[in-house]
Amino acid sequence: MSGARRLGGARAARVQADAGGTPIRIDRHTVTQVRESWLIEDRWWTDQPLRRRYWELVSETGRDIVVFHDLLAGSWFRQR
Amino acid sequence: MIVCILLPRFELVVAVGGLEALTGRAVALAPTAGSAAGRQPIGEASGAAQALGVRAGMTLGEALARCPELELVSGDPIAVADAWEQILRRLEGIGAGVESERPGVVYFDASGLRGLYGGSEERVAAAARRAVGVPARVGAAPIRFCALAAAQATRPRRTAIVREGARAYLRGQPVSLLASRPATAPLVATLERLGIATLGDLAAMTRAAVADRFGPAGLEAHRLACGEDDRPRPRRPAELLYESFELEESSYGPALEHALGVLIDRLLARPERRGRTLRGATLAAKLVDGGSWRTSVAFREALADPRRMRLVLAPRLELLPAPALVLALSTERFGAATGGQRSLIAPAVELRRERLREAVRQARAAAGAEAALRVVAVDLASRLPERRVMLAPFES
Repeated sequence: MSGARRLGGARAARVQADAGGTPIRIDRHTVTQVRESWLIEDRWWTDQPLRRRYWELVSETGRDIVVFHDLLAGSWFRQR
Repeated sequence: MIVCILLPRFELVVAVGGLEALTGRAVALAPTAGSAAGRQPIGEASGAAQALGVRAGMTLGEALARCPELELVSGDPIAVADAWEQILRRLEGIGAGVESERPGVVYFDASGLRGLYGGSEERVAAAARRAVGVPARVGAAPIRFCALAAAQATRPRRTAIVREGARAYLRGQPVSLLASRPATAPLVATLERLGIATLGDLAAMTRAAVADRFGPAGLEAHRLACGEDDRPRPRRPAELLYESFELEESSYGPALEHALGVLIDRLLARPERRGRTLRGATLAAKLVDGGSWRTSVAFREALADPRRMRLVLAPRLELLPAPALVLALSTERFGAATGGQRSLIAPAVELRRERLREAVRQARAAAGAEAALRVVAVDLASRLPERRVMLAPFES
């Protein structure tokens, strides 16, 4: 049966970060505030471990944005 | 003439990844997780392990005492079922009506195939061997039990054909052959202890004496020893529907039950089901430790109600021996199509539900299979957003 799929999947994002790794610009949005940041490490016991640094940010338009930095692959993704 | 194709240690060969991986290694299948703590029987053992005295069914402690270097590998029931199904389908492809008691042993009646393959059992056996595609022992005899005895006695890649009567052939065979049948397997040790070493010795006893000492199992053993057996009952070609769900992280408890709910919805929404009920289903899982788990469930009555299916299947999840990475659900057998009859005074809720079902069918007919989905909470407590909810087919 097609159509069954997960919601809230991550999609690639263009992120500029400062020297400390904090995002300052996401796609077309400039970050004005960092609300929260947290680290997730999972599946470290498998061949496909997962290590992400999440950031919950507020853009200049007031939009709440969640992005994460894949610390193993080095790429950025947007999740909300 | 009945042909038996025997692939010794089939489950072990699949678990280690091929026949070559067994060469010179003392390997055995580890006890299954459901075994009683004190018993823990091991599964099939390699030739090297058998040479050191290890036997299938032996307790783990005894096996390790006999062979301290014994390697234990986890069984992989899903891979075994898949590999065996492929072999059975290839045999069905040459026209054989196959009956399989367990993975590694299959019977079929060669009489209907002789005309197709040159008129002799040898040619039929050769065609079957080609269809199987892996080294196998092949035996042909008037009855199934005798064909299995011939296959066990022959060398790999050889075909043994029993031309004389089954009783005459079995006369000199050991009673340990009875271990191949679940009904008669418990008798083997007792018969050997009583000095009944061959099937000829058993056949020489009277049925009354055997029945008096061993009951129905003894009568069955006596029947087999006398060269009498049932004809093969070919399986009916099954239409298999299969759905799997990758859990992405080892799951258990409520998350697993949510995943099961999604699988049930997806299976029931498959257009190939054509409104039919399900008589049974197979629940399987790939485990975090690399092994797999599989269980078949027969429903008390054919059903297509997702809630009742969940009630039946969910308790089975507690039998999982380890956290699962992938959960799969497949159909075993279909029942009749769900009836369209309504009661004379139908309750309003049932009427609304039927209208909703019809609306979903119409939406799918118009917009494709992706129409009418619902949001299902899979693991709301997951730290990763993409693992929390998913879209699944709507089944009212």
